[in-house]
Amino acid sequence: MSLSAAAPDLSQVPEPDRPREAALGVKLGMLALLAVLCLVPFLFVLTISFGHKIEGGGWSFGFETTQYKRFFLGATWPETFQDLYLQKLGYSLWFAAIGSLVAVMLAFPFTYYLTRLGKRGQTVWLVVLLSSLSLSEVFIVMGWDILLSARSGLPALLDGIGFTGLMKDLGWFQWFRDIGLASPRAFKFKTSGFATVLCMSYLVWPYAVILLYPALSRLDPALIEAARTMGARPRKVISTVVLPSVRLPLFGAALLLFVFLLGTYVTVSVFADPSQHTLAVSIYDSVRGSTLNAPFGAAQSVILLITAGLFLFAGQTLSKAGGK
Amino acid sequence: MRLSWTGRIFMTLSGLVLLLPILVVAASALNGGRTMLFPPQDPTLSRFTEFFVSEPIWRTALGNSVIIALGSSALGVLFAWPAAYFLWKKASGLSKVIAGMLALPFAVPPIVFGVGLGFMWAFSIGLGTLWAGILSHAALFAALPLVTISIGLQSIDRAHLDAAATMGATEAVTFRTIILPQTIPYTISGFFFAMVLSFNEFIVMFFVSSSSYATVTLQIFNSLRNGFTPTMAVAAITFIAVSVTAFSLVARFGDLPRLMGADQSRT
Repeated sequence: MSLSAAAPDLSQVPEPDRPREAALGVKLGMLALLAVLCLVPFLFVLTISFGHKIEGGGWSFGFETTQYKRFFLGATWPETFQDLYLQKLGYSLWFAAIGSLVAVMLAFPFTYYLTRLGKRGQTVWLVVLLSSLSLSEVFIVMGWDILLSARSGLPALLDGIGFTGLMKDLGWFQWFRDIGLASPRAFKFKTSGFATVLCMSYLVWPYAVILLYPALSRLDPALIEAARTMGARPRKVISTVVLPSVRLPLFGAALLLFVFLLGTYVTVSVFADPSQHTLAVSIYDSVRGSTLNAPFGAAQSVILLITAGLFLFAGQTLSKAGGK
Repeated sequence: MRLSWTGRIFMTLSGLVLLLPILVVAASALNGGRTMLFPPQDPTLSRFTEFFVSEPIWRTALGNSVIIALGSSALGVLFAWPAAYFLWKKASGLSKVIAGMLALPFAVPPIVFGVGLGFMWAFSIGLGTLWAGILSHAALFAALPLVTISIGLQSIDRAHLDAAATMGATEAVTFRTIILPQTIPYTISGFFFAMVLSFNEFIVMFFVSSSSYATVTLQIFNSLRNGFTPTMAVAAITFIAVSVTAFSLVARFGDLPRLMGADQSRT
């Protein structure tokens, strides 16, 4: 674990070969250090997922597939089949897919305009974007929690400007109740899928801009000007010149953000209805929360990891095929 | 280039939505009472004194956050430098493996890495210690200095290196006189990126700290269960201030559009 592994003893290396041998030594030292820090944690997750749970929160090493059976078939299999955890995985995929798509769709026009600004303007916007991007999920959830809260947020605002009354008078209010966005008397956004997806897209929108920025800023302005001089309307230019040339970065950004959102914990635990909680929440509960079952938490982590890996792999294959 | 009206309106609207939750949190810090209301009631600045001075919980948490953020980003730069340098010198198999390993924790859902680190530190003596927290964040965020330093190394003019070589400079001298000075802005940028993200990180630190210490984000999450208090909003303001300062410094001393991958030929 110590850093001294990265600094091999030079005195033992014969004079002529010193630089090359030293470089190899440093490389091997780094490899060992990074293997411990970056790879071993995942090996622990994999090993423990096959471990045995002991009553009372402990576990021991072993090789059993109980936890995987529980995930895919339910704890009571073979008497009855339960798809509770498959549903959780489904909600993980569903929320992450919508969240990343919305973020990328809104980030695309923004990034396009951003790259048309002067260098100074771009720098200022980038500082704002990076500050927002690095802001902890905990704060963002806190902000949206206030904005969506019944007492001082959006519901109170809608009530105040008479929108709630208008909807009731028109008889449309029942529709909002049906989709779970209103209580009998007023609008209610916590907890709802709407709030979850809203907060998720907000969370990754700055990432989406940063990811699309290189591609759009390398777009040759001569191409756009040529299309404009030939009489194409701005909308036409976007759809025939800009969009096709950034098709792959758009797809790549959506995929990366999707994988990132698969692991969101705070947003889902605060904004989603308990019946719609995702795998990340369930992992948290198993490892540190209410249910305390480390092997099951590990098994769910492995499944989440494999899911993320599969999507990244499929994405890479698709974009390679599309790039040809 | 002049922006069309639609462009300006769209950018302004996006910026407003981006700032909305941040502004609301910031304004809530002024609340005189214990509850988070917006607009703030009975405005006061005493929450700032509570956060920075009078409440030991928040002061300790802030101290831990600062130690972990600075320590892990410095360590992350130390990990990233040789990796980026090897990759730039000669992209051999071993160098690629090293760089790939550094990038791995950043590329997977962080909750999985956090769970794994929690297990690993529980098996050593690291669980719940600050140094394990520092090492964990260094491994998680070393990918950022790796990227910025690689961009920096690529921007070095090969002619300078050739000139140094023809004048008989050894590798060490070239490194000290050409490579290091030209990459310092990129190194510092990488350091800031890692620092700001470490400062704000939640889920990995949650599993690694194992409730034996708290950083500010952990403390906020713990307090969430008892409802919001305006003191938490002060923490948010502090964090935004740190981020904006760090990235403004990067923009001031480095080339932010280039770091983010903009094309240099057209600015």
